[in-house]
Amino acid sequence: MDVDTGNMTQTNLVDKVVVPGDVVLDLTKMENQTIKLGSGLRQDCDYISVMQAGKLRLSKPNKYWVESSQKRYVPRLEDTVLGIVVEHRSDNFLVDIKAPNLAFLPVLAFEGGTRRNIPKFETGTLIYARVVKANGIMNPELSCTDASGKAAEFGQLKNGYMFETSTGLARMLLSSPTCPVLEALGNKISFETAVGLNGRVWVNASSPDDVILVSNAIMRSEFLSGTQQRIMAEKLLERLQKS
Amino acid sequence: MHVRREVIHIHLPRRSTSKCDMVGMVIERDSVGEEGDDVVTPGEFLGEATEFVAGKGAYVSPNGRSVRACLTGRRKVTAAPPGSHDNRSTIEIVGHKAHGAVPQPGSIVIARVTKVMARNASADIMCVDSKAVKEKFSGIIRQQDVRATEIDKVDMYQSFRPGDIVRALVLSLGDARAYYLSTAKNELGVVSAQSISGGTMVPISWTEMQCPLTGQIEQRKVAKVD
Repeated sequence: MDVDTGNMTQTNLVDKVVVPGDVVLDLTKMENQTIKLGSGLRQDCDYISVMQAGKLRLSKPNKYWVESSQKRYVPRLEDTVLGIVVEHRSDNFLVDIKAPNLAFLPVLAFEGGTRRNIPKFETGTLIYARVVKANGIMNPELSCTDASGKAAEFGQLKNGYMFETSTGLARMLLSSPTCPVLEALGNKISFETAVGLNGRVWVNASSPDDVILVSNAIMRSEFLSGTQQRIMAEKLLERLQKS
Repeated sequence: MHVRREVIHIHLPRRSTSKCDMVGMVIERDSVGEEGDDVVTPGEFLGEATEFVAGKGAYVSPNGRSVRACLTGRRKVTAAPPGSHDNRSTIEIVGHKAHGAVPQPGSIVIARVTKVMARNASADIMCVDSKAVKEKFSGIIRQQDVRATEIDKVDMYQSFRPGDIVRALVLSLGDARAYYLSTAKNELGVVSAQSISGGTMVPISWTEMQCPLTGQIEQRKVAKVD
């Protein structure tokens, strides 16, 4: 691997596509600076190199990270995910979150949870939860409360339809300001969604037609720009004479 | 050269009133000597109980008259200590792989951590009291045995990682799967560990180790090595 010694106190790779092995920064040329590394980058003795393929992003003044999109999910702390209950053990539920290991959801990790009112989740129940422990070695741990102990929309998701997407699309749906496709659909249909950063999206609406329409629109919007998403959503709505 | 003699009696079922119903085999074996060169197997006759005391690996047969082996190995005879009432020699079986180091409660072991979980960590015991083991033993370090203070707030991930070499104390024989180990002393804990960048880390306090390649600090339960 060639280290390009022409690098630079500021990298010119920001917002460009990078692949594993690319050298982003040469630390010997930068002194007395603090750099914050996000996901996808690592320190290799004297230079910062890329670990994951994606787009390099910079948040001024000094935070770098790589935005990538995959079908599989690597658990991170404080991510909100959609999990499917696989098994019920004595002190936690085993939940599948598309990660390398099954996640544990303690039976008491609910608002007002005590040994007497343990929720009865069967195998296959869809749960919206938050990751509270994630390191590469142990099974990740989830919780159905927010940091202060309140339920805050976490818990079982009933009815509706769940489909799987890539992690990149899930992040786009959760970005603010509101993602254009959701905005365009929301103007005409009333529906609710839950987006898991592990690449699962749940949609619920009053009629099955609406659910199918919203799901298809979301699935098609991954590689479209904002305007293209709006046009695509309008066309779909027109077909079902909702405009 | 040791000369040994032993007579093994084999009884054949009586078919007739013939007198040849006992066949004896004479094997050259010395009944008093140091270590034998022949391998003995469990059940094999070693000596008379009137002449020998059963040591490690040997037992007195149910009828109380003979000393037999209960392990596979070589026999070893030690003379009786002078001044004891009983002047019988002791027969032991040596050379068996169980005579390699076996962890006993109270012994200090060196182990390599294999798995870290929420409430315990598994480790493979490699040395017992500075002697390497001949077969692998499994050990478990429970959350409450990692350190002596604040045992319910222990985070296993900040104490051990897979691949760390730890010095631990054997608490008990544990269950069928693993010995119970403890690192709840100053001189027990992680002795050697590798960082995520691959360098061997240097301890800087009893909770932290630093990688020499990147300068990153990682948390471990570090042993105080003098």
